[in-house]
Amino acid sequence: MAVPAFSLIYREYLRWIRAPTWVISGLMSPILYLLLFGQAFDLGRLIPPGTPANVLSNALSGAPNYFSYFAVGMVAFASVTAAMFSGAGIIFDKQLGILQRILSTPISRRAVFLSELTFRGMLTLIPAFLVVGFALLLAHVPGVAGLTVSSTVSVLGAAQFLAAAIVLSVAFTALFLSFGFAVQRVESYFGVVTILQLPILLTSNAMYPVSIMPAWLQYLVGFNPISLAVNVMRMSLFGTHGYAYPAGIYLLGLLAWAGLFVTLALVLASRALRSDVSPKGSALSQAIAE
Amino acid sequence: MVYPPAKPGGKGTVAVAGVTFQVRRGEIFGFLGPNGAGKTTTISILTTLLVATSGRATIEGVDVQADPEGVRRRLGLVFQRSTADEELTGRENMLIEAGFYGLSRGEIGNHVSDLLEQMDLSSAADKFVKSYSGGMRRRLELAVGMVHRPRLVFLDEPTLGLDPQGRAGFWRYIRSLRETKGLTVFMTTHYLDEADQLCDRIAVIDHGRIVASGTPSELKDGVGGDTLVVSTAAGAGDLTPLLRSLPGVTSVASNGATYRVKCSNGESLVPKTVIAAERAGIDIVGVTVLKPTLDEVFLHLTGHAYREEGDAPSTSPSHATDPGIVSRGK
Repeated sequence: MAVPAFSLIYREYLRWIRAPTWVISGLMSPILYLLLFGQAFDLGRLIPPGTPANVLSNALSGAPNYFSYFAVGMVAFASVTAAMFSGAGIIFDKQLGILQRILSTPISRRAVFLSELTFRGMLTLIPAFLVVGFALLLAHVPGVAGLTVSSTVSVLGAAQFLAAAIVLSVAFTALFLSFGFAVQRVESYFGVVTILQLPILLTSNAMYPVSIMPAWLQYLVGFNPISLAVNVMRMSLFGTHGYAYPAGIYLLGLLAWAGLFVTLALVLASRALRSDVSPKGSALSQAIAE
Repeated sequence: MVYPPAKPGGKGTVAVAGVTFQVRRGEIFGFLGPNGAGKTTTISILTTLLVATSGRATIEGVDVQADPEGVRRRLGLVFQRSTADEELTGRENMLIEAGFYGLSRGEIGNHVSDLLEQMDLSSAADKFVKSYSGGMRRRLELAVGMVHRPRLVFLDEPTLGLDPQGRAGFWRYIRSLRETKGLTVFMTTHYLDEADQLCDRIAVIDHGRIVASGTPSELKDGVGGDTLVVSTAAGAGDLTPLLRSLPGVTSVASNGATYRVKCSNGESLVPKTVIAAERAGIDIVGVTVLKPTLDEVFLHLTGHAYREEGDAPSTSPSHATDPGIVSRGK
């Protein structure tokens, strides 16, 4: 007896392992940011000599230098960028009739959604961890800034880091999957996703310290799921000094976002997957009608 | 069955309405109609991909709306277009499809190899589908639809784009399954000669309604019998009054020296025509009996031709009695 959902995951795995280009393209911008932006935009150099060391350290939430602060933000950004490709596969499956074939079998509609979420979610973690590894490696290259972590990272801290990375990738995978279920054309999908990418990144604390932002932006940044994940990640690597809340609170906030996005995706997925009486309501009936 | 709803104040069009038929177990049932007549909509409703606004359909006693999963488990579906995954091999496509039915490689592996062999895909089984030709994709589609050994299979124009060998091989396989396993087949096809030869019974759908149903020979009888084509030598006299006077002749149309005679029994009219023409001193150079084809049935029922070509002798139907598919209109 085979579990139908595993069959779906196996299919996605085979497709991915043979054409892993989406992960590579998802990795491009974070790596470029690390190699160019992160090297050039060193806020530490703007601080006049003789300023007490803790001034910079406080602004950077305890990170030893700007690059280390920034690199953690890029870990989250890499995962979100990779998640942006999650929904595209569903649109192709809809257009090619593969989804219809799947739906004509006894596999449950929920299993279709959950296997997508699980597999795509796991895929988005890969670039996140590659960015961590790459940033750590840069620290050993002479003349280049790299990620330096405090020597006292605990097991609990590492677990928090991992938890934040996982919940963040589930949240954004679900969000972009829901777009994939909702729209019929790849062009519309990437249109929406491209519009969202920069605002999501720029209203977070991934690239610059919150303390130098205007108050209204600080407010926005505080609620951004990327900020919440990055807070937890930075706390686990650089210490908890200077944060308003303990890591658990940020993690809970992130979980709330994930819950919201998964619910949204569930609703849109079941709308797209149901055999609808209204030809406008269901992606499937539209595909059949053409 | 009615689909979709005519929305109050909306501009929704009704795709099918008043579609009622029964398919018996072990029967090959042909569902014919011009493009856009509602064939695919009907198949989609019966295979649970669409929900009818009203009416009821049962498959092997299972209601498609009350228990869609039970219906999905029972049927095989072969789509009009290729739905195989291009990035996977033929065998992988089949094994993954089997997995959706809860069948593991261990349980189904040999059956998959057999099916690939039957479909003449053994040598390409482990190649990516993107390297397949159109005909190979079609055959794979059929193999995928049959992978879980369904007792009832829906074929939506299954042989579209297949070469004659491919079509023959496919139907040989379907017939053998019908004979050995009692497979029930619900098919649509654009090849009327194919439907004529294969189907036990046929329903003709046009503008979302069933306009006729019956065995191929019943349908053909409904068009009004045979056509006798009589050719006379150039300059011979007019044969029309003489032909009209023969028994069983319903109409005569002439085009110079060629006459098309509609009649109830073509064969018995041949000697009568020859004798009568000889007595009248008109020289006949040829007589041909044309049996009605499904194309004529089509032209007759829908007012438009289905396809240009196609003529084939009818097969005598044979069927079991227990109902396989029942669809009741409302």
